[in-house]
Amino acid sequence: MLTRIGAHIRKELLMLRRDRGGLALIYLMPVCLVCIMAVVQDAPFRDFSEKQVHVLFRDHDGGAVGRGIRQGLEGAGPFAITDVTGDAAMTEGEFLERVRTGEYQVGITVPAKATMVLNSGSSAAVERLFSGLSGDGALAREAPDSAFVEVLIDPAVKQAFRELVHSHLERVLAVLGSERLLIDMTTRLQQLTDKEMEPLRVQEQFIGVRQRMAGTELSGSRVAADSTQHNVPAWTIFAMFFTVVLLAGNMVKERDSGCMVRLLTMPGGASERIAGRMAAFLLVCASQAALLFLVGIQVLPLLGLAPLNLIGVDLIMLLAVTLVVGAAATSYGVLVGSFSTTQQRAAVFGSTSVVILSAIGGIWVPLYIMPDAMRAFGRLSPLNWSMEAYNVVLLRDGRFGELAPFLLPLLIFTASCILVAILAERSIARR
Amino acid sequence: MEQGVDIRVRGLVKRYRSSTVNAVDGIDLDVRHGEFLGLLGPNGAGKTSLISIITGARRATEGSVRILERDIVAQPDGVHAAIGLVPQDIALYEMLTARENLAFFGRLHGLDAKAIRGRSDQLLRRAGLHERADERISRWSGGMQRRLNLITALLHEPPILFLDEPTVGIDVQSRAAIWGLLEEINRAGTTIVYTSHHLEEAERLCSRVVIVDHGRIVGEVERPGAQGGAARLEEIFLGLTGTEYRDR
Repeated sequence: MLTRIGAHIRKELLMLRRDRGGLALIYLMPVCLVCIMAVVQDAPFRDFSEKQVHVLFRDHDGGAVGRGIRQGLEGAGPFAITDVTGDAAMTEGEFLERVRTGEYQVGITVPAKATMVLNSGSSAAVERLFSGLSGDGALAREAPDSAFVEVLIDPAVKQAFRELVHSHLERVLAVLGSERLLIDMTTRLQQLTDKEMEPLRVQEQFIGVRQRMAGTELSGSRVAADSTQHNVPAWTIFAMFFTVVLLAGNMVKERDSGCMVRLLTMPGGASERIAGRMAAFLLVCASQAALLFLVGIQVLPLLGLAPLNLIGVDLIMLLAVTLVVGAAATSYGVLVGSFSTTQQRAAVFGSTSVVILSAIGGIWVPLYIMPDAMRAFGRLSPLNWSMEAYNVVLLRDGRFGELAPFLLPLLIFTASCILVAILAERSIARR
Repeated sequence: MEQGVDIRVRGLVKRYRSSTVNAVDGIDLDVRHGEFLGLLGPNGAGKTSLISIITGARRATEGSVRILERDIVAQPDGVHAAIGLVPQDIALYEMLTARENLAFFGRLHGLDAKAIRGRSDQLLRRAGLHERADERISRWSGGMQRRLNLITALLHEPPILFLDEPTVGIDVQSRAAIWGLLEEINRAGTTIVYTSHHLEEAERLCSRVVIVDHGRIVGEVERPGAQGGAARLEEIFLGLTGTEYRDR
C-alpha cells in the first residue's frame, strides 16, 4: 500500500515539475501577490501619523488662531500644508475645485476675526469666573459670537481620514482655547494679587499614555500586525488553497484521459489515490510556505516594508499550522476534483470559491475591520481558521492549546473533504 | 469452476442511471484458458460496458463475474493483479516519459525497481519504442502511444489480457506490430479478450468470436479463420446484427 501511495506521490510531483504554467500559478503568482498586496496595503496598516495629508490652508484671520492652527497641524506630522493666504490667494471656486478634484485632501479656512472671537470668549469666561468669586455678578460679560474654522474634504477620502483631520483640528483649537484661558486667568490673578506670575503652560501633561502589545514586549523583537505580518501568512494560505486549480484539474484530466479506467482495474483503491495525491500537494504547500516566508524575510524589506519577523516564534507550532492548513487546502482540492466534470469547471469553481472564501475569511483585509454580519460569515471560512492559527503563532505569542479552536475545525474540514472525495471516487465504478 | 475456464460471467446486467435500456442485458460467457476471444458488435452494442464490468472498472447492476476463481466484487485486488487492461483511450500520462509511465504502473502492481527496469527495457524494445523511451509521450505519434498503451498492460505479465479496440486510428505498421505482439503473448499462454470493429483482425487473431448486439450475445463463431475469411465473417455479422446504422 505504501509503495502504491509512494508511486502516486512521485507521479504527481513529476507531472508538476514539467507543468510550467502550473508552477507559475502555485509559486510565482503568490510571490507577486504577496509583494504587491503588502506594498498596496502598507499604508492602511500603518499609523495615520505616517501618512502625508495634503492641506490647502487659507488664513482670513491673520492672528494668533490662524497661526496657531497652522503651527499645530504642521507639528502634528501627517499634514503637508500649502498656504494660499495673501499673495497666493485664490478665488472661492478655485479653492473648492482643488479639493474636489483630489489635488488636496483637505481645505482649511480660518475665518476673519477668529482670534478676536477667541480672545473675547476667553475674557468673558474669566470675567464670569472671577466675578463669581468676588460676588460682583455685574461685571460678567455676555458670551461673544462663535466662529467656525471651515474644513473642506475631498469626497473620495475615507471616513477614518475625515475623522483624523477633525480630531487634529479639535485638539489644536482646544489647546489654543486653553492657552488663551490660562493667559487671561494669570493676568487676572496678577491684577488681583499684584504679583508677577509665570503663566501656566497647557503642554505640561500630568498623565500620559503608554501603549504596548498584549502578550509581547514593546522593546522586544516581536511586532504587531503590519502589512508584512498580515500579508505573508495571508497569501501563503491563499496560495495553498489555490492549488485546488491544479489538483482538481489533474484529477479531471486523469479521468478524461482514460488513466482512471486503467487505475480502476489495478490493485489499490480510491483512498490510496487520494492519499498519494494529497501527500504530493502537501509537500507543494509546505514548499510554498517556505518560499513565501523567505520572501517576507528577504524581499519585502527591499520594497521598503518591514521584514517578516520570526525571531521568538515557535517553529514547531509554525510547522504544525502549515501542515494542517496544507492538509485542509489539498483536501479541498480533491473534493473539487471529485465533483468536477471538466477541467474548465474545476478551474473556474476552484479559483472562484477560493477567492470568495479568502475575501470573507480575512485574507484580503483583516476580519476585524469588516461589518459584524460579514465578520460572523467570515468565521465560517477555513481560510479564516487558517489565518487565525497563523496569527496565534506569529503575532499573539500563543501556546499550543490556543491553536485548538482553529486547528480542530480545520482537521474536521479536512477529514470531511477526504471522506466525501473517497465516496465520490468509489462511485465512479458504480455509475 | 470448470477446469480450464479463466473467466466466468453469469447473468450480467448493466443499466446506466441515464438510460432506460440495459447496456448489458443478461450475458453468460465462459472464456477458456489460453483462448483469444474476440467480442464483435456494432457501435453501442455493449462491448465496452461488458469489458468494463468484467475488469472491475464498472459495477454490474446484476450478475456475477469470476476470474481465476475469484469474484471481481469480493476480491478486486486479487483479480486486478491477474489481469491487464488496454483501454480504448490512451490511458497514459502525457506529461511523463514512457519509462516513467511504465514505472508508475509497475509500482502499482507491486513490482520492484529492478523488475520494472528489466521488464520495461524488454517491452519497449519489443514495441520499437526504446529509442525514445525517455521522451515525454505527448511528443509521440498516435501509433507509438497505442503501442505503449498496450505494453503498459503487459508489464506485470498478467495471465489474462483485455483489450478494448487497441488498434483504433493507427497506421498499418503500428497495427501489424500490435498484432504480432498479441499473437506472441497468446502463444505463450496468455488468455486474451478483445473488442474490435475490424473483422479481418478478428479473423486473423481470434480463436473464437462472440457477436454482441443490444447488450446480448447474438452469435458465436469458433475458429473464424477457418470459416472462409473476413468476407464470410462479415456475412455472419451482418446477418446477426442487421444493416441499419447504429450511431444515428
